[in-house]
Amino acid sequence: MACRGGGDHVKLPSPPLSSVNPGSFATCPTSFHNICMVSDFFYPNMGGVESHIYQLSQCLIQRGHKVIIVTHAYEDRKGIRYLTNGLKVYYLPLKVMYNQSTATTLFHSLPLLRYIFVRERVTVVHSHSSFSSLAHDALFHAKTMGLHTVFTDHSLFGFADVSSVLTNKLLTVSLCDTNHIICVSYTSKENTVLRAALNPEIVSVIPNAVDPTDFTPDPCKRHGSITIVVVSRLVYRKGIDLLCGIIPKLCQKYQNLNFIIGGEGPKRIILEEVREKYELHDRVRLLGALEHKDVRDVLVQGHIFLNTSLTEAFCMAIVEAASCGLQIVSTRVGGIPEVLPENLIVLCEPSVKSLCEGLEKTILQLNSGALPTPENIHNIVKTFYTWTNVAQRTEKVYELVLSEDVLSLNERLDRLISHCGSVTGHMFALLAVLNYLFLIFLRWIIPDSLIDIAVDATGPRGAWTHHYPHSEKRDDNEKVSETR
Amino acid sequence: MEDERIFSDICGGRLALQRRYYSSFCREFCVSCPRLSLRSLTSVTCTVWLVAYGLFTLCENSTILSAAIFITVLGLLGYLHFVKIDQETLLIIDSLGIQMTSSYASGKENTTFIEMDKVKDIVINEAIYMQKVIYYLCILLKDPREPQKISQVVPVFQSAKPRLDCLIEVYKSCQEVLAHQKATTTRS
Amino acid sequence: MVLKAFFPTCCTSADSGLLVGRWVPEQNSAVVLAVVHFPFIPIQVKELLAQVQQASQVGLAVVGTWCHRQQESEESLGHFLEGLGTIFSHNPWLQLCRERGSKFWSCKATHHQGPGIAGVSREDHVILIFYDQRKVLLSYLHPPTILPDGQARDATASSEGLAAIFDTVSRSEVLFCKDQFDEGPVRLSHWQSEGVEASIFMELAKQASGPVCLLVTCLLSLVSAASACRLWKLWPLPFIASKLSTCEQLHHRLEHLTLVFSTQKAQSPAQLMRKANMLVSMLLDVALGLTLLSWLHSNNRIGQLADALIPMADHVAEELQHLLQWLMGAPAGLKMNRALDQVLGRFFLYHIHLWISYIHLMSPFIERILWHVGLSACLGLTVALSILSDILALLTFHIYCFYVYGARLYCLKICGLSSLWRLFRGKKWNVLRQRVDSCSYDLDQLFIGTLLFTILVFLLPTTALYYLVFTLLRLLVVTVQGLIHLLVDLINSLPLYSLGLRLCRPYRLAAGVKFRILEHEAGRPLRLLMQINPLPYSSVVRTYRLPSCGCHPKYSWGSLCRKLFFGELIYPWKQRGDKQD
Repeated sequence: MACRGGGDHVKLPSPPLSSVNPGSFATCPTSFHNICMVSDFFYPNMGGVESHIYQLSQCLIQRGHKVIIVTHAYEDRKGIRYLTNGLKVYYLPLKVMYNQSTATTLFHSLPLLRYIFVRERVTVVHSHSSFSSLAHDALFHAKTMGLHTVFTDHSLFGFADVSSVLTNKLLTVSLCDTNHIICVSYTSKENTVLRAALNPEIVSVIPNAVDPTDFTPDPCKRHGSITIVVVSRLVYRKGIDLLCGIIPKLCQKYQNLNFIIGGEGPKRIILEEVREKYELHDRVRLLGALEHKDVRDVLVQGHIFLNTSLTEAFCMAIVEAASCGLQIVSTRVGGIPEVLPENLIVLCEPSVKSLCEGLEKTILQLNSGALPTPENIHNIVKTFYTWTNVAQRTEKVYELVLSEDVLSLNERLDRLISHCGSVTGHMFALLAVLNYLFLIFLRWIIPDSLIDIAVDATGPRGAWTHHYPHSEKRDDNEKVSETR
Repeated sequence: MEDERIFSDICGGRLALQRRYYSSFCREFCVSCPRLSLRSLTSVTCTVWLVAYGLFTLCENSTILSAAIFITVLGLLGYLHFVKIDQETLLIIDSLGIQMTSSYASGKENTTFIEMDKVKDIVINEAIYMQKVIYYLCILLKDPREPQKISQVVPVFQSAKPRLDCLIEVYKSCQEVLAHQKATTTRS
Repeated sequence: MVLKAFFPTCCTSADSGLLVGRWVPEQNSAVVLAVVHFPFIPIQVKELLAQVQQASQVGLAVVGTWCHRQQESEESLGHFLEGLGTIFSHNPWLQLCRERGSKFWSCKATHHQGPGIAGVSREDHVILIFYDQRKVLLSYLHPPTILPDGQARDATASSEGLAAIFDTVSRSEVLFCKDQFDEGPVRLSHWQSEGVEASIFMELAKQASGPVCLLVTCLLSLVSAASACRLWKLWPLPFIASKLSTCEQLHHRLEHLTLVFSTQKAQSPAQLMRKANMLVSMLLDVALGLTLLSWLHSNNRIGQLADALIPMADHVAEELQHLLQWLMGAPAGLKMNRALDQVLGRFFLYHIHLWISYIHLMSPFIERILWHVGLSACLGLTVALSILSDILALLTFHIYCFYVYGARLYCLKICGLSSLWRLFRGKKWNVLRQRVDSCSYDLDQLFIGTLLFTILVFLLPTTALYYLVFTLLRLLVVTVQGLIHLLVDLINSLPLYSLGLRLCRPYRLAAGVKFRILEHEAGRPLRLLMQINPLPYSSVVRTYRLPSCGCHPKYSWGSLCRKLFFGELIYPWKQRGDKQD
């Protein structure tokens, strides 16, 4: 997929959205929605999905919507918290199973999620990340309760091995009756459509964004020698094994070359071994886990940003690095080629040899002064991806979704049986019926009328914006809600 | 001045909120649950005895029957004395303190008194409780070393768990007293 | 701010007079301590107050007037009382008044705005709070207010919250010593203790306690001098002493005794309570011990016990032999490595043989030993129990040995297997950095490693079985010993005196106060009754628990299981700490 320059280089495919042009973005939304973002991944966990949810929610709140976030409890952080602008976060006490993803039985989260959906008067449930089982649970329950659903996929998957076959089947089941799906790049859309056997009409592409004001270049922080920066989690998916091959080769060839590696993970040990084996302690710095606010200070110290990912749907890291004025060298995988125009990025095959060549070429250019200055790169990149843009596009999706009808139970069962194969379809149809019965049981135990409506913190009628002396809700984020 | 209003708790049960205004600076709020109903008592007792009788017919050991009677009586006593709270009272006296009393069905009373200079504020907070998200009234205590910080959160009406409308009533009255307290403290 | 007047309940029916008490400006409250009756001479009242103030360091003053209208409406008295305000100048000036036959009082507080403008005055809201002077005086507030060092008893009264009221009352004890019926110059009305005559025995005991303490201290110093003798410091003795729970228990008791009978006066109520608790727990301990002793010495129970003990030890050894023989065959249908099985089995059998002969050598002396051990019960039940635990440890020494052998063997195998498994995967343990590194091995090394790994894997089940069986036996013994220690700990650390006090005199241990609103009429001041909120039993135990000898398990269940799995040695609770290294 070729790169496009300019502001609207990622067009929305579905008919009502393709008419969106930058000029109409400034208009205010006609109606306000109550949106519930659900994902297993949220702060204090760090990563692309987390910041995506946070930034999107903040922008939606500024546009007048009411947004809440539902995630699972992180250690002692459980209960209800408020973030900036009254963004309410529910940290539900659910058991974490693997990799911050909750264990699911498909039913056990229904009582709590139903309580939240009812008390917050949610109209749109927006789930994030296909790794998150809480997100899929929420989709399932929201459909049972007759709410509108949107799903954002942040990652790519294979098709070949057993685990991905299973995950893809589950994704098919989960997405076949979801109203709308958002992907972060065209590659991701292709991947998702194929995996979940979806109608491409209901899949939109809305890229991630970075806050360009957070990532400004500062060339005086650079040292005389050439520095290559790597910031990523140190896991297999991010191609750390490739990095281990690259470091000794380049360090032997160029005496004035340094590496700065930020991030933490299970693969850190092999990096340390490489460093010890080739005695590169003074040239390879391992910084360990970085906080998001420190990333910029690390990035501006380097000349070249190296990304060795083996699979990537969008890759925020290279946008952040480019915004800091670094030259990017990256593997040509997933949605990466769509992200930046060709003059800002050097794409290589995911192999040690190809990456070394790419880096050498860049170093040569750097030494000859053929590269654009950091300020230039920053000025180009900062127009590409902004959160307000993302929020406006997402809003369009919500409006589209709300104009549709939610499938009734028998339509939903038909869809499940016809879409997901006979065995799986019937099985999940049965589960959907059971879930519906469970919901009816819960409604009998605690009718909706018994559930207190939550005091609105955000949105046009929010209590957050008014400041009267003895306001009814005074517990701001200094206060910790406890779970009893 | 005294009045009584009917509210409901988070499970839909009936709650009576009595407000007694002794003077402008001394107010009492009393949340009372319905007493133990004869019907539920009878049904529980009958179930236990039926189970015991079933076991008795199976193994023909008469100690089971006496044990069942013993268990029911002990269970009832324990329930009345340690579990069932009939009434919860919040007494707020300006410049003196806040007193919380919970009276058990057996007549046992549990009282906590918090001096006013330890109280930072009274707020309504949210919490996840069982499979519900509920509002509750709580008293924030000052940290003795750093007056701006909160050292402890003391929940009020812990067993009755009234709904938000009831809590707002109590909250507003309490805030009036607290505001009066704050005004006079700053003045003098 | 609302003005609070604390008024003692015992003065409600007193005659009219002056209110004596302390004014706490921070709380905006007046603590009334007593009522001075008519007639009096103002100078004498002031003298009395100055006396009390010097003794108690509390700023006492006349805070107002008290008017009890018993017969007719004494209008003149009212005017007279108002006039008193000019003699005893106090700001604010309280005027309490109780009418005849009426429950409701009237109360007025007058602020004089300045010395110059006498007529201008401001009136406040008043809350009347009644308190029981006796209970407040005797109670001890929890948690105690923490005073900075150096500012203990003689410092000025604190002014923090309700503690100030408690503090004021308890410091003014001097005031209450004055007898109501004394024909002194000033007549006071306040709480009175019921005469000194009733407590004549207490007085005697107090007199006697001094010499008794001195005597016991002398004896104790002799004992501790003996125990500090050089002879005990010779090599094996301290080691053995540290392993025997009897020694620990005796040491513990000795410490208690020295503390209880120390000639120094207890400095704080907490320390006094601690001493009392220790004394009561020791008395109970000795009483229980004596009961046990009398039970043992009736009907020749010791002889019966000794006769039963030898066959029991024999029986245990026999059972063990059977178990070993069963293990040497095909236990539970498992097919073991025959050679290793036989070697291990014979080794353990030989040990049991040694053990039996040792027991039989001992058998003639057992009764004598038991008789002497029984005598130790007069030192207390805890000492007897500790001795029992030690005897149990000695009698099951063979089980301990088996366990150690089994565990060592098993540990060796597990360690070998884990390092060879790392070799398999091309990894090795880096000792310097405490982590697993990758490493490339030679073909020979890999070959030898694989061979050894195979051998160890096939021999593992046999060792694991022996280890499992003996660990279970060992755990059984440790559990019994642990239960005994728990019992000893319970007797040692339970604060019996405090619990008794809480049961019989709940107000003595106060967790705080509670208020009850008395009948109220519009326009009259609010009347509250302050009662003592007793400390709950759980916190009584928590606050006054005596320090035990530290026999608590140091490991969590998880780490215990981990240790068991990896074949690390577990010790009975006492010795864990020392044998860590």
